[in-house]
Amino acid sequence: MKKLIAIVLCLLMVVAAVACKKTETKTAGKVFNIYAWNEEFKGFFEKYYTVPEGVTVNWIINPSDGGVYQQKLDEALLNQANAAADDKVDMFLAEADYIGKYVNSDATMGIDKIGFKNADTMYKYTIQAATDDNGVCKGVSFQCCPSALIYRRSIAKDVLGTDDPDEVQSKLDSWEKFEAVAADAKAKGYYMTASFAETFRTFSNNCTMPWVDANKTLQFDPMIEAWIAQTEKFIDNGYTLDCGIWDDEKNQQMFADGKTMCFFGPAWYFNFCMGNAQDPEKGCSGDWAICEGPMAHFWGGTWLLAANGSDNTDMLKDIFETFTVNEDVCSKLVENEKQFPNNTKVVDKFANDPNYGSKFLGGQNDILAFSKLTGNIKWENHTNYDQIQILNESLQSCLQEYFKKSVDKDTALATFYQKINETYPDIVTP
Amino acid sequence: MSLDNRPSGRRKSVSYAKWGYIFILPFFLVYFIFTLIPQVLTVYNSFFTNYMDGLTHIGPDFVGLKNYVELFTPNKQGVILILKYAGNTMILWFLGAIPQFAIALLLAVFFTSYRLNIKGQGFFKTVIYMPNLIMASAFSMLFFTLFSKVGPVNQLLQQTGLADKTIDFFVSKVTVRGLIALMNFLMWFGNTTIVLMAGIMGIDQTLFEAATIDGANAVKVFFRVTMPLLMPIFVYCLITALIGGIQMFDVPQVLTNRLGMPNRTSFTLVMYLNNYLSTSKNYGMSGAISVIIFLITGVLGGIVYKFLSAQYKEPVEQPRRVRKGARK
Amino acid sequence: MNENTKSRLMMILLRVVVYAILIFLTVLCLFSFYMMIINATRSNAQLQAGFRLLPQEHFWDNLKNAWTDASINIPRGMLNSLFIALTSAALTTYFSALTAYGVHVYSFRGKNLVFTFIMAIMMIPAQVSAVGFVQMMNKLHMTNNYIPLIVPSIAAPVVFFYMKQYMESVLPLEIVEAARCDGSSEFRTFNTIILPIMKPAIAVQAIFSFVSSWNNYFIPALLLDKAEMKTVPIMIAQLRSADYSKFDMGKVYMFILLAILPVMLVYIILSKSIIKGVTSGSVKG
Repeated sequence: MKKLIAIVLCLLMVVAAVACKKTETKTAGKVFNIYAWNEEFKGFFEKYYTVPEGVTVNWIINPSDGGVYQQKLDEALLNQANAAADDKVDMFLAEADYIGKYVNSDATMGIDKIGFKNADTMYKYTIQAATDDNGVCKGVSFQCCPSALIYRRSIAKDVLGTDDPDEVQSKLDSWEKFEAVAADAKAKGYYMTASFAETFRTFSNNCTMPWVDANKTLQFDPMIEAWIAQTEKFIDNGYTLDCGIWDDEKNQQMFADGKTMCFFGPAWYFNFCMGNAQDPEKGCSGDWAICEGPMAHFWGGTWLLAANGSDNTDMLKDIFETFTVNEDVCSKLVENEKQFPNNTKVVDKFANDPNYGSKFLGGQNDILAFSKLTGNIKWENHTNYDQIQILNESLQSCLQEYFKKSVDKDTALATFYQKINETYPDIVTP
Repeated sequence: MSLDNRPSGRRKSVSYAKWGYIFILPFFLVYFIFTLIPQVLTVYNSFFTNYMDGLTHIGPDFVGLKNYVELFTPNKQGVILILKYAGNTMILWFLGAIPQFAIALLLAVFFTSYRLNIKGQGFFKTVIYMPNLIMASAFSMLFFTLFSKVGPVNQLLQQTGLADKTIDFFVSKVTVRGLIALMNFLMWFGNTTIVLMAGIMGIDQTLFEAATIDGANAVKVFFRVTMPLLMPIFVYCLITALIGGIQMFDVPQVLTNRLGMPNRTSFTLVMYLNNYLSTSKNYGMSGAISVIIFLITGVLGGIVYKFLSAQYKEPVEQPRRVRKGARK
Repeated sequence: MNENTKSRLMMILLRVVVYAILIFLTVLCLFSFYMMIINATRSNAQLQAGFRLLPQEHFWDNLKNAWTDASINIPRGMLNSLFIALTSAALTTYFSALTAYGVHVYSFRGKNLVFTFIMAIMMIPAQVSAVGFVQMMNKLHMTNNYIPLIVPSIAAPVVFFYMKQYMESVLPLEIVEAARCDGSSEFRTFNTIILPIMKPAIAVQAIFSFVSSWNNYFIPALLLDKAEMKTVPIMIAQLRSADYSKFDMGKVYMFILLAILPVMLVYIILSKSIIKGVTSGSVKG
């Protein structure tokens, strides 16, 4: 046992020594530190960006599970002033859900300070999202995520008599029409959507007031009220299912034998969430198409933010340019990575290419379809409070209990307020 | 029961007390360096307003007992939430702990019984401990899919005709609590069995033989010999299970998707604490909840320890004398 | 004679009942494992298609994808986890036994206070002090270092409590006395005489501590961010938060399965020593 202890202690010392050495050697040469929660952007970065000589890029990747990514990032940003030059965060990634938290803080630096200017080819909402309350832009996005109504061609033919995207759109371009079609679909044995929360994003992205007003009081936008009213009706009439948007019960509706006509999602949704539809045996690849649907909206997206205190401003500028302005790189993002880039010129090129089309969508040009949806995405009413994670998601999950009839509406809302009180002590709830 | 205290101690002239200090030194050294400071800070923080609003640090401002008052103020529905969640936690723990201890005791006795001589013990012992090896979050993830509306359990119930339509296990208090209890039972009964088994195997076998020769039947042997001698270990199991139960978190958190549905009836104290801590790092409120959890645990653990230890004090002494005699 | 056959019948009946219970529990325990293995044989698309009771054909694909993932070095992660879990288990059992022995055998001033104190700190919930702990380690520049993950296991109140209770039920103080008569030093008595007696207890706690260290996610995730230092649970979390083009639940299940194997191996080895320890222990003299 003594020997074992001795060995253990020796090993510990070796580990400690190794750990110390590594931090010491770091002081030599320039280091560019990037914080991210997964490898997606790292992959693009390594393929399409040439790192200047003498600079080492250091990726600090922490999983978003359990809030670890933001916790570690916050720790580093708050310690930024005291950190050694080569330990400072230079750039970090943020999602639409919580970008406001970082943009409206001193942790990020205006892009003008690094000599970068936003280009005309960028989508407006991607700039708004990275701009703070004083109008200073802090970063860029390399992608644009307009979300569409994704429908089953065969069911649309049965219910609407057509599967042509333009004609389907004309029959579904308002919520009144959407509801009327839902009744027709129900009569023929179909569901309009497969989750009570399927249409939530279309409403919440079109809110005209933020969740929290200037006095930090919680407020319900009429759009949110409209969503609740619509969902009550949809559940009661059996137009939709009472499961969540990520549940297996919903995903099974994407098989060939599924009975659901409409889903909502951006380009990444096809691969990420529609595996069932692409299943070679039970799927129905090619039986899908997209159109704008009742309201324009977006879903997700990753932004690159410039960290205040970075000593590699030239490189920051370089990276921002590469992934937004550089047409060659943006084209490759479409061709090789199935991205929808943040560059209208490149998007137009693919949208007008008659040879470009998606097999999954029965030959429809998805870039063309999505590009039509980009213009009217609204960002204006996001707040610093991380939108999806807490407020939107909590509202959905609390109301789900109501839609499932296990509690009444007031109880469900009381739980929602309670959850907010626990998460954000500052917000005043009814 | 220390050597130096024994009236018959023959070596009173030499004091061994310093060895006691030396032996406990590493524990306390490490404890003070690595654990004490954060723990003291937890209590300290409970008297402050101290949280993050985005990247802005609010506080720390001394507020006295305000956080505690807030925790015990009834909400608009007239419910004192922390009491509700404490009640949930205890119910969830009891539901799982009762079968856990009953089965674990039975199995420990079965496995150690020479008369019963169970074949394939190695296999069974491995299998019953296996659920404890999976990460709680992965295990909960699995259970969620097993019992979802389109999961295999529903398929099976419908195919065998036990249910005529899909059952939603997550809308009823009874089924959600039942599932959490079942998972806790599955995860921990093997663990308890092993501990109790090791305890029984540590007992001098001659005592069982002697009792059997004296004509005691299996039940008598269990209550007169096994249980009294096993009591310290049993107390250990009960108290650690209680502590673990009051701090129950992973299973309900993942299984109910952080909600503790329906209507937070399977929402536990630590889930409550976690809501304060995870986003806004509210050290004030979460510190106050921790102190309350600590007090609840302390009171309940103290009662269990005092009650059970005192009850079996006498029988524990007896066999030692017997053993001494047997050695002669 | 009649009495004899009766009791033999009773014994058979009892055995039937016992085996029935055991088989029922086995099925209950194995079902989730079975599902895990089945899931590890399915592709991401198949997993999304809902549950199946029979394996599908992607076992080797998943294994290959998990083992050779370009950005997440799983073999390395398993080595890291193994190192941390083994050293923690060794430290926690040895020092807890030492502390328990100190409290159990010696009489010194403040002894009861020490015991009560350790019992009290055992009851402090881990969640909040965990965050404080991480902040402190950040200030001490102990991130990306295994020391904060290993050394604190020396002070494990729960393991101490178990060792103390175990000693109370099986350790006769006469043995210590006898050793002193033979001129054995206190430290030697502990290492050469007491530890072997404690073997079953040490094996039990070594298993538990190995498992909890192996499965520990939260604190390691907050302390380690260098790719070559990450542990298995961090890697699983990272696989789960992968971007959509790399997201693969089949790979996740395969990794969870792989992660269980070493723990099972350790368990099987140590559970043997629980039995051996008892039969070769010196209690019965």
